[in-house]
Amino acid sequence: MIKHHPSDALLAQYCNASLPASLSVAVAIHLEMCECCHAKVKRLEAQNAELIFAQPQSAIDEELSADAMSLLAAITENDDVDDVYEVQPQTVAITKQYSYQLPRALARIPHSKFMQLGKISRSRIGLEDGALRSSLLHIAAGGEIPEHTHTGFELTLLLDGEFSDEEGDYVAGDFMWLDGRHQHTPITKDGCLCYTVVSSALHFNKGLSKLLNPIGSLIY
Amino acid sequence: MVSQQPATRCEPNTGNYTAMPETPSKELADALSAVADKRDKQAFAYLFAYFSPKIKRFGIKQFNSDAQAMELVQETLTSVWRKAHLYNNDKGAATTWVYTVMRNASFDMLRKMKSNKEEHISEDIWPLVEQHANSDYEFSDHLETQQIKNYLDKLPQAQRDVVKGVYFQDMSQEQLAEQLNIPVGTVKSRLRLALQKLRNEMGDRHD
Ligand SMILES: [Zn+2]
Repeated sequence: MIKHHPSDALLAQYCNASLPASLSVAVAIHLEMCECCHAKVKRLEAQNAELIFAQPQSAIDEELSADAMSLLAAITENDDVDDVYEVQPQTVAITKQYSYQLPRALARIPHSKFMQLGKISRSRIGLEDGALRSSLLHIAAGGEIPEHTHTGFELTLLLDGEFSDEEGDYVAGDFMWLDGRHQHTPITKDGCLCYTVVSSALHFNKGLSKLLNPIGSLIY
Repeated sequence: MVSQQPATRCEPNTGNYTAMPETPSKELADALSAVADKRDKQAFAYLFAYFSPKIKRFGIKQFNSDAQAMELVQETLTSVWRKAHLYNNDKGAATTWVYTVMRNASFDMLRKMKSNKEEHISEDIWPLVEQHANSDYEFSDHLETQQIKNYLDKLPQAQRDVVKGVYFQDMSQEQLAEQLNIPVGTVKSRLRLALQKLRNEMGDRHD
């Protein structure tokens, strides 16, 4: 069962498009898997619409300007309709052993080839988004991410499989927001695929991890 | 960017949200349907007159520019004209649907200004058509059970349990949720993921 959801503030920002693209994608993926947050978003959208568009019929008396009249004519001159935006399911194969179906929101957004180091593989999502970087992160069975802290924030959204850390177990759909105050060492028994968004460099804590520094630039 | 502490549970909002009574909800919904079904230009002119000044006001706040606000009016209402058939009035008010179209257009415009790329990812982030119905994923009768079991074995355990419960033990999604001690929503989403995967595995042969 999903135990970690986006905050209400984050859902509100998602609804009015004030959230950066890579985080909007994360919320969209969570909504595919979480009926409860999905219902919240539908409600927020109805409220936003009401704020912007509510008006009694009697108050509509604005005469259309000449510009508006010509725009109206230009739009209706063409009778074509747009097709439904069809998204074909996409599968990613990380190795022969691991292949996953991508969520709908990621199916059409390009991502790079997976780079691998030990049990960890990472593919960068092709989404320009200022200081934010988003990735697909795969950890093979028995793998872990070395202990680290963050100077900015890290969002981890579990897409498939499971992992656990000091705080507990996580399932597909869990939406985990960590900032500089957290330390964690996720470990996975059977392997997992995550979508991650990171705002700035990570610091690795353990001595051995420092030797493994390449992993920092690989993961995020 | 503000800190966003995660919520550890999803507290549903209670109560139904109803549109303010003075909004001509029915007229707007009817006009949208007339545009979809009959390409009714008069109905569209009504929608245009209702929405364009409000979209423009919203655009000026959003972009701080008259020209860009007009571009938003044009983008949004062109989409309303061309996509009206995607509006489903069982799912919500016409104003809500037009809001989502406008929000998406505004997002794509902002991305374009920042990155100078025409990428139009708003429909990846906010689908205009809901794909939540489970009825889309019915199996046809002629599937051999053995073959499907082979495919099932490739699914993660959690998804396999749900598919087996629903398709081999004929349990309702509610019964299954109770038995597995998970919410019905999770049963639905696992089923959806599993069936998408199965379809992919099986390719075209069983479409
Ligand atoms: Zn949720």
